[in-house]
Amino acid sequence: MASTFSGITTALSSLYAQRRALDVAGQNIANANTEGYTRQRVQMTSASGNTMPTMWSTSDGIGNGVAISDIRRTRDEFLEGRGREERANISYLTNQKQQFVTIENTFAEPSDTALQHQLGELWGAFGDVANNPNDKAIRTALIQQGNTVVDGIHSAYNALGAQWKANRDQADALATEVNTLAKNIAQLNTTIQRATAAGLPVNEMADQRDVQLMKLSELTGATASIQADGTAAVYLGGSGLVQGVTAREIRVTGADRLQNQTGDPANSVAVRWADSGTPAQVGGTLASIQDTLVTTIPKYANSLDGVAANLANTVNTLHAGGYGLDGVTGRAFFTGSTAESIKVAFDNPDFVAASSTAGTFDAANADALADLATTPGGAGETYAVMIANLGVEAQSVDRRQAIQAVVTQDTDAARESFAGVNLDEEMTQLITYQRGYEAASRVLTAVDEMLDVLINRMAV
Amino acid sequence: MAMQLRVTDGAITNRVLANLQGNLTRVGNLQEQLSSGKQISRPSDSPTGTVSAMQLRGESRAVQQYTRNASDGLGWLGVIDTALTSSLSQTGKVRELVLQGMSAGTASTPDAREAIAAEVENLRKSLIGVANTKYLDRPVFGGTTTGERAFDGNGSFVGDTGTVMRTVGDNSKVQVDANGAAVFGANGTDSQLFTVLESIAANLRGSNTAGLDADLQNLDVAIGTIKTNLADVGARYNRIETSRTAADDRLLNVKSKLSEIEDIDLPNTIMQMQLQQTAYQAALQATAKVIQPSLMDFLR
Repeated sequence: MASTFSGITTALSSLYAQRRALDVAGQNIANANTEGYTRQRVQMTSASGNTMPTMWSTSDGIGNGVAISDIRRTRDEFLEGRGREERANISYLTNQKQQFVTIENTFAEPSDTALQHQLGELWGAFGDVANNPNDKAIRTALIQQGNTVVDGIHSAYNALGAQWKANRDQADALATEVNTLAKNIAQLNTTIQRATAAGLPVNEMADQRDVQLMKLSELTGATASIQADGTAAVYLGGSGLVQGVTAREIRVTGADRLQNQTGDPANSVAVRWADSGTPAQVGGTLASIQDTLVTTIPKYANSLDGVAANLANTVNTLHAGGYGLDGVTGRAFFTGSTAESIKVAFDNPDFVAASSTAGTFDAANADALADLATTPGGAGETYAVMIANLGVEAQSVDRRQAIQAVVTQDTDAARESFAGVNLDEEMTQLITYQRGYEAASRVLTAVDEMLDVLINRMAV
Repeated sequence: MAMQLRVTDGAITNRVLANLQGNLTRVGNLQEQLSSGKQISRPSDSPTGTVSAMQLRGESRAVQQYTRNASDGLGWLGVIDTALTSSLSQTGKVRELVLQGMSAGTASTPDAREAIAAEVENLRKSLIGVANTKYLDRPVFGGTTTGERAFDGNGSFVGDTGTVMRTVGDNSKVQVDANGAAVFGANGTDSQLFTVLESIAANLRGSNTAGLDADLQNLDVAIGTIKTNLADVGARYNRIETSRTAADDRLLNVKSKLSEIEDIDLPNTIMQMQLQQTAYQAALQATAKVIQPSLMDFLR
């Protein structure tokens, strides 16, 4: 036979449980707009009677009320893992997209002012000299046009260099940020590990840690798995970044300016483990910056070098075959053969080798130089090929980014639909628990009235 | 969208925001196209279009240069044409004077012959002046000489045999000068115009009828050469003019192709803009309706 007062404790356990559940609903509502907050669910378990009856402990078969067995975070680790992966992808592509926008702005084609136009003006200036080889003003204009082209190439190269440098600085800053995030996660791991061992709730800490994990994945493409003790193990390309309570560090090594970035791996920019010095495999924003530093910008700088070399080579070869007004032959029009070093070799208009015969106003050589405008394989064509490549690459990044944005949105939505707070739902829960609380109070009143009858009114 | 078991307020907000952003981005793109008038403003808008646009711009620049070269060439040939026409009329005058001197024969007085000889000498000087005609500070009959003159005061050719060429089309080069030695005869030949004229004056003064006969033959050869050259100059003038017309046509063609590639179709873009704005407004209104109510609005 159960105790006379057992009904009171049953009702009390319910009052406790419903209150707790109301509090949790309140917490959910309070954090409806908190980034990274995971909605929590109260897990109630009916307290059973004794399942192993002994002489002094028997059960009437009815339970002893309700207990809160767990306040659970509604989070799907599989979705979280996918979320981190997709966020890393979109971070990579978004950064790539920005890089290509910057490069496209650098070359600013197609337009009536950019390098292609300036090259056209240069060929035109040679044509004008061919028409008037005796006019020094027109020869001077040609030299100025040569300088304009050279300036155009220099400024494009310098813009690439500046973009490279900005990315290099950002890479260092990101490495620091990654190290800080890894340290934070390790610290949260420590706290979570201790609290879990002590049986204390860790939901809010786990939320915080997941937010930091997500940020880390966006920056580096890090993957994570949650261990049995509640800690997160974080990996960069299979190598552990955070294991339990310890975090490793990464740093960015290699060239510090575009000119020093070469194919030589010893010199090349790389993300490395600070302790071992071996390369770390990264994704996300850091990978995009690394690719930009190692591949993209050097590639376009090389192409620009190719344009400069082609220009210097084709013009110089023809120019050296002609004679200046001073009768001297064999002069180069440009010195230097890279985008950085190319220059017009002289500023004396007499030095322009317009003639193919010494001491005459025969302008056949200037005419031949003007013909470079339509010569296949010339600087203009080399440049157009480079711009075409840039366009195709930028367009492909654009499209991939657009597709990835949809995928990421879907994954985020799936995560949000799983972990997010729905106010309607919380309101419903609120009412459910409120009613539960009211009903439990009613049970208590009923037991109280019953005992009142038993104690105060019986046998009076 | 992935199938969702639950719909949360956060999910709705994110999706609404993403949709509105997408709408606004499209409106922004169209606005950029409308304000710039270009549908290609960067290579990634259309890589092939960009390359075509660049090629067409290069072609347009080259064709414009051909037009300028052609104008310059027409300038040269026009000056040469005038000079040769004037030379012909003056040599014609000389021929009359020779005939006049010959027909008068021994009957004429030394004074009369002297007067004719003096007139011939004057015409010779004038013709040397014509042969030294300049265009943009260069003697048009001097070849590629860097000197000031094609002929010196004695009527000797001092230019060179270089040719002045103008590029008036792809691989199309036309000579725009007429060489003094070819037009007026090479130095040391009997039919060199100024030698002939000198000889005429001397033979008039010396009453050398036989000499004048020979002079007249030589003069006819010289006149014939000038006429041939004048015809040649005219032909080249026409050729350049044809090239220039072709270049103008090509330029028009290139520009319309460039416009086709680069420029927006205005009515079409404006219509798209209208549609996009309508879509955006609809999205805004729908959002206002969806976001507002929740269960809280219906519970006391």
